[in-house]
Parts: sequence; C-alpha cells; structure tokens
Amino acid sequence: MENKLDYVGQRVPRKDGPAKVTGRAKYTVDVQLPGMLVGRILRSPHPHAKILNIDVSRAKRLKGVKAVITSDDTIGVKHAFVDTPRYPADEPTIAKDRVLFVGEAVAAVAATHADVAEKALGLIQVDYEPLPTVFDVEEAMQPGAPEVNPGDPKVKEPLANIAGKTESGWGDIEAGFAQADYVRKDRFESHLRTHGYLEPQATVASYEPDGKLNVWTSSQGPFFKRAKLAQTLGLPFSRVRVHKAYVGGGFGGKVDLFYHEFCAALLSMKTGRPVKIEASREEIFTAYRHGEPLIIEIKTGVKNDGTLVAQQFRIINKSGAYRGTGVVVIFLAWGFIIGAYRVPNFKYEGYAVYTNNPPRTAQRGHGCPQVRFAVESQLDMIAEKLGIDPIEIRLKNARQTGEILPNGDDVNNCGLTECIEKAAEHTQFNKKYGRSRPASASSGPVRRGIGIGVSSYITGSLIYPNSSSTMVKMNDDGTVTLLTGALDIGQGAETILCQIVAEELKLHMEDIEIIAADTETTPVDIGSWISGNAFVTGNAVRVASTEVREKLLSIAAEELEASLEDLVLKDKHVQVAGSPSRNLSYQRLVALSIQKRDGDPIMGEGHWRTVRGEPYHPSLATTKGRWSDSYAFGAQVAEVEVDIETGLARLVRAVTVHDCGFPINPTLVEGQMDGQVSMALGHAFMEEVLMKEGRTLNPSWLDYRMPTIHNTAKSEVIDVITEQYEIGRPYRTKEVGEGYVSGILAAIANAVYDAVGVRLHTTPFTPERILKGLGKIK
Amino acid sequence: MKKIIELSVNGESAEFLVEPQETLLEVLRDHMGLTGTKEGCGTGECGSCTVLVGDRPILSCLTPAVECHKQDIITIEGIGEGNDLSPVQQAFVDCGAIQCGFCTPGMVLSTEVLLKENPNPQEKDIYKALEGNLCRCTGYNKIIEAVHKASKQMVAEQE
Repeated sequence: MENKLDYVGQRVPRKDGPAKVTGRAKYTVDVQLPGMLVGRILRSPHPHAKILNIDVSRAKRLKGVKAVITSDDTIGVKHAFVDTPRYPADEPTIAKDRVLFVGEAVAAVAATHADVAEKALGLIQVDYEPLPTVFDVEEAMQPGAPEVNPGDPKVKEPLANIAGKTESGWGDIEAGFAQADYVRKDRFESHLRTHGYLEPQATVASYEPDGKLNVWTSSQGPFFKRAKLAQTLGLPFSRVRVHKAYVGGGFGGKVDLFYHEFCAALLSMKTGRPVKIEASREEIFTAYRHGEPLIIEIKTGVKNDGTLVAQQFRIINKSGAYRGTGVVVIFLAWGFIIGAYRVPNFKYEGYAVYTNNPPRTAQRGHGCPQVRFAVESQLDMIAEKLGIDPIEIRLKNARQTGEILPNGDDVNNCGLTECIEKAAEHTQFNKKYGRSRPASASSGPVRRGIGIGVSSYITGSLIYPNSSSTMVKMNDDGTVTLLTGALDIGQGAETILCQIVAEELKLHMEDIEIIAADTETTPVDIGSWISGNAFVTGNAVRVASTEVREKLLSIAAEELEASLEDLVLKDKHVQVAGSPSRNLSYQRLVALSIQKRDGDPIMGEGHWRTVRGEPYHPSLATTKGRWSDSYAFGAQVAEVEVDIETGLARLVRAVTVHDCGFPINPTLVEGQMDGQVSMALGHAFMEEVLMKEGRTLNPSWLDYRMPTIHNTAKSEVIDVITEQYEIGRPYRTKEVGEGYVSGILAAIANAVYDAVGVRLHTTPFTPERILKGLGKIK
Repeated sequence: MKKIIELSVNGESAEFLVEPQETLLEVLRDHMGLTGTKEGCGTGECGSCTVLVGDRPILSCLTPAVECHKQDIITIEGIGEGNDLSPVQQAFVDCGAIQCGFCTPGMVLSTEVLLKENPNPQEKDIYKALEGNLCRCTGYNKIIEAVHKASKQMVAEQE
C-alpha cells in the first residue's frame, strides 16, 4: 500500500477552532439547566482542628435554601487518587470530626441564588478546637512532630508523618562512588506554583428521578471522575453519566475528585434539582490543589572524562494533609531521572510527607521540571569542574536507541543525541557559552547567558482506566463518525484523532464527525493526564479505522473483481490502481455491505493500552515493573538576559529540539512547546503561591504573576523525527505536552549562571536571589 | 432597587430588569444566554470577559449593567457574519492561536479593536492591545502570529 500522507503530519487546523472562536463552544460554566440551584461550600478556616459541633439549623431555615449537607449525609467512603493496600484512600468527601487544612469542606449548601447560598454559609455554626500544626516537611518528618493524619495507616518508618516512600536502585552505589574521580553533593528546592487554568473549577450535577446522575464537570477525563463519584456516592458506575463539556485548561489541576464535584452531586440527589457549583478564583488559589514542590538531594560520581558512574537521590515531596498524588510524584521523580542518562550504579529514596497544607496534585510534567532542574544544574557544575563543555558531558552520557532501562523498558527509538547536537548547532552554543558578555554594546548592566537542559518523558502508563477504546462507524452517505472517550482539554486531542481517521480512510476532515468524552455513549478512555492520548487513544483509533478500511476493501474487491493489493482509497472511493474508472463510492459500499454482509453497516472497533505484556502499573514503593512503551526525549536551550544592578532576569530565546517520534500535527506540537516554554519561564522568574501557616497570601492574578503577552519568549521548535507514520501499522508516537516544561527550566537556570555566575539552587530565580548571589545584598 | 435598562447587544435592542450591583457579564450570560463571554476571575485580572461597548474593549465582570444603559455592545457572538468568520477569527483558527479556547473570545475582541484602529500594528502595539488578556496555553506566540496574519489579510482586502 502506498504511504503518501495527506492528513497525518500535516498542519490541519483544529477541528474545534470555529466553535471556540465564535463563543459557541460550551464549557461546564456555560451549562444552564431548568430549575438549577447554586451550590456553595463551607470550608475550614483552620489548618488543623477538631470539629466539636456543626449546627446547620439556621442555614436550613433561610428562605431559598433547598439543602444543607455535612458528613452525616454521606456514606462515609473515603477516596483518593491512589487507593491500594499500601496506600489506602485517606480523604473524606466532607470532613467528619477533624479538619486537616485550610479549605477542607465541612458543609455545603444549595439555594435558589448565589447570594442566598453565600448567606447560608454564614449561618452554619461550626465549633472547632484547634490542634497542633506543622507546615514544613522537614519539621513534619522529625519524630515527635504533630501528627497530621493520625487515622491513616502509614509506611513503617522511624520518621514521622510519612505518607509514602519509594525506594529503588541498581548496581553497587558505594563501589560506584569509590570508582569516581570526582563526587559532589547538592541540594535543590522547588517552590509552590499553581496551574492557572483560565476556566474555574465547576460542576453541574442533575439527579433524575429514575436514579441517574448526570454530571458536567471541568476535568481531564470523564471516566476517572465517574468512578470516583460512583464510589463515594454509593451508586453503580452505570448510574453516573459524565457528559462532555469543553475544558478551559487543566495542566494536571483537574484530575482528582474535588469537593465541589461530590457536593454538587449529593446536593442534587438531596433536592432532586440540578445544582451548579463554580469555584471563585480566590477559592481556587486558597483551597484547591497546586503543584508539588520537591526537595532534591543529589550526590553524583563521575570519571574525569565526564562519564557518570554513580548517582544517589533523596527526594522529599512537600505534600499536604492528604496523600493526593504525593505518593505518585515520588515514583515519577525517579522515572524522570532514569530516562535521559546512563548511570550504572544508582540509589533512590523518595518521601511523601503529610503537613497541614492543602493537598497537592499533579502539575504539567509532574516532578519532571523539578528533577531536571536539579540533575542538569549539577551536571553543569560537574562539567565546569572537569573542564568539559555542557554539550560534551551530555552527549557522553545520553541514552541511545536499543538500550533497556533498569526497569525493563525498551528505549526502542531515541533521538536524544541528535537533539543535543542540533540544539548546540542551531544556537551556536559553544561559541556563546562561558563568556558572560554584555547583551549589546549599549546594554550597560545587562548580561546575556546561554544554557542547556535535557529531559525524557513517558508516553502513557497504566493507571485507571488503563485503556482506550474507540469506534469508527460509516454513515450512509460515506462519511464517518468517530466515538472516543478522549477529552480535548485544549491540546487538540479531537483534531489529531480525526486526522488519524482521515489518513487511514482517506477522508476529508470535514467528513468526520466526532462524538467524544461522554461516559454513556463513548467507549472508555485513559484520559488527558498521563501523556498518552496520541499514542494510546491514537492507536485505538487507528485499529478501528483499519477494520473499516479492510471491510471497505473486501467488498470492493468482490464487486470490482479485483485483488485487494490492487485497490486504493481515494476521495471517498475505492478504486483499482491504474484504472480509476473502476471504482465504488464509500456510500455505495455501505449499501452493498448492508445487503451482502448480514446488515453490517461497516463499523470498526479498536482498543489499545500501554505495556501490553504487563498486568499492572509498576510498584510505587519499589519501582519494579515496566512503566511505558515509549520515551520522548528533548534538548532545550535558553538564552537569558540578567540585569546585574536590579537582579531582573528574562528569557529571550528558547530552542526546543524534541524527539516526539512523529508529529501528527506540527502546529499543535509547536503550540504545546510554546505553552511549556511560557509555563517554565513563569516557573523560573514570576510565579509563586505564597503560604503562611497553611493560608494563601496571594490569592489572585494580580498578586500571583502569570506570564502576560509582555513575557512572550521567542520559541523555536525543531523536530527530530525518529519514526515514520505508516498507514495500517502500529506506531509509537511520543508525548509532547508535559516533558518539555522541564529541560527549558534547567536550561534557564544554567543560562543565568552563564550570564552572571550565580548558581541558584532554589526556584524561582527572583531578583533578590540573583542579587544575593552577586553579593550585592545580604 | 431594580432598574430597567435598555441595551443594544450585537445590533439587537432589548430591555432588562437588573439589580444595581449586577454586572454586564451577568446580564449577557445569565439573562441573555450569551455564554461566549467568559468569567475567568471576576475581578478584572484575566480579560476573559472582554466585550466591546461603543467600540471600546471593557471588562464586563467589573462593569455595572446599569452603566451600559442605551449603549451598543458587541460580544463574541456578534463577530463575523452568519457562518463566515471574521479575518481575525479565521487567523486565530489558521495559526493555531487557540488551545483550550477560554481566553479566545476576549483575545479576538481585543484584536478586532486593535486592527480597526491600527490596521498595521507593530509588535509593541500588539503587546499593548492584548496585555490585559491572559492566556495560559499558547505562550502567546501563535496569538501574535495570528494578529499579524489578520492584519495582512485585512490590509490586502482594503487595497
């Protein structure tokens, strides 16, 4: 079969572009139902307190209040992102006798109007008895520290408040350090940032008299939400339907089950009316889940030529009052270390530690930016000590195609070396590096620097719901409808899935209707949160399309009296190669199939999952077990300018050279890269959620500074293509949406050092830290 | 005390009974069902709620509806004609200037005003015109590209 690609690999415009640009796209916040009530949540003002009594009687009597719920109205099932024998679910749906953080839900109200609901919250009387608190993870780990989550079984440890621990290693770490010519130890620390999705967290729940719960919620995958809602409400999965709504950004922040989702559902079940709860921006900043700052201690041994021989890590996740994804990130941090470089002797321990801060959650890259910042910064320090340039030391240790990772994963194709080489060449790295020079002849105190960072990232893994299934059905007119559970959160999932159908069936994009992200009408999907959409769901779509193509070809072969190999698909027809007048339209083939194939209107179905030979996700405790089928790689170069008088620094140029396998849509790939560069520069220079004793001090976008258009960095994207998309064959297209927020952060840190000689071990790189590093302030 | 106000929205006039504290955003979204205008923060920081009042971009989440009495208002639903996208809308689609799309209505409206006043804007003019519109997805690069593309298109059409 010829492999001329017409849709895949092309700059096809987004399928949902017209709906979004005209305001017709409906998000959860836009859902309006008849008789809909407004819900609001009463949250704990204390970081740790015993609940002595809750009196809702006055709130219930307020005119317009239709229901008030507390933990007494729940079935008492705890939930969590991770729920395993080692890490059983630890979060109540509504706090019962104790609150563990500021913002924990203690009650919720549904009323006819928002102002009534808000007034009702003020009428609920909660008596608290404050309890001892701890906010700093290293204090929380000390034996004798206040116990944050006393009811929860913990990992056996002499340290206190251990929510989870990951240990891994290979080789002989002591022997490794003994062979090293140079060993150094460093400590890096990252800070608290928020996701900054523009659409607020929101849910509309509508419980029908027949026992069906309909839900619209701003999420990153409807099937995970359905499971968590069903479990906590005591409903069968099949009685909960999560409908599709457009999503105004997620970035990891909309994965878990949230109070507003559970409470909207329970309030609707209590009142028999639809209930909408929309979080205010201030609520999102103060009570919702931000990312996961890590403390990273790293000891590395190298030979004089720069070869890594041993590396040891101790990582502490600054978790909150419940585990959340805290026990996941200490596993992931290990994984984002092992992909990029070969290290023969390795030891890792990671801790998730309870504190009285709000729980944390996944944030784009999920541990990767933090660990790459540490590893890549230290690598530059080592290179400088050994007199090797940053490019050479990375090339020396970079993984190669065909290597098997210590967990058994196969690095089946790896463009890392090419990425590093191209990044260096494109930016003339070695001509610029190491000569802290004025940005221009007239730039005065502004210094310019260049730095590089490397990352690798997985392409989907096995987490519930573990697989993606899709259906492709032909319509009578020869067009198709694609049914997929995939949720487009802005990355372009719907567009690339339609491109795959278009390519496999040689149909125009406008001939493909997509029905997506509805737990009732579409098959299960892994969701838009483990970087597996293009690979896992994409392959499922490809398989379903292949079945359709084979059916079309088989009937056509029979009718045209031609052999299968001689047939080609073109413009909604199957034709005989070389004699295009011998053809049949898809429309005709559908009719023929119904006539002659027992009524089959031509449908295809496809399923896919990652690491097909493995039953489960690898152990969070030991990292044992295979993790991912395919690793993406990238090298990123940053050029920064630093003002040595003010300490102000900015990213002026970012070059991302990436191996994403094969870009299904280069425009969408670039969009992901640009967005990650922007998020990384916010991480590096601008953004920080400031907390004091569990309370957020800057809960608005005026005080939490996200990049505006004035902070746009020049972003160049270069593809290193390590595989070709071939029609009808499985592919290993890699992730593009998360990993590249990482190398660029490390590159920025290294570029700041190159510019002004200040090595920063803590993010963000504020003027204060830079001036301190320059010795200009104390 | 409630007041009756008259608004012309996307060329059609209608009367509304509103509370004095009700915002233009609430009237557009809750009274009229024009949900293309978004609320990202409710405090005037993100620009998602941008609409045009008498051809000027304003933040509808901070604007009392009563202040708009007898004013001409254009929302995202009033851009483009019928099923035809405006050159700005088309450029946003073509350039990949849209990801999650939540900021898009505000971005498009701010761009429409910019290009009407300054058909051939420099980079700094674009920065100034869009500085009040936050986007978390795109890093702004492709939005800037789209503004340039729409500008070229509109200039070419006029020549």
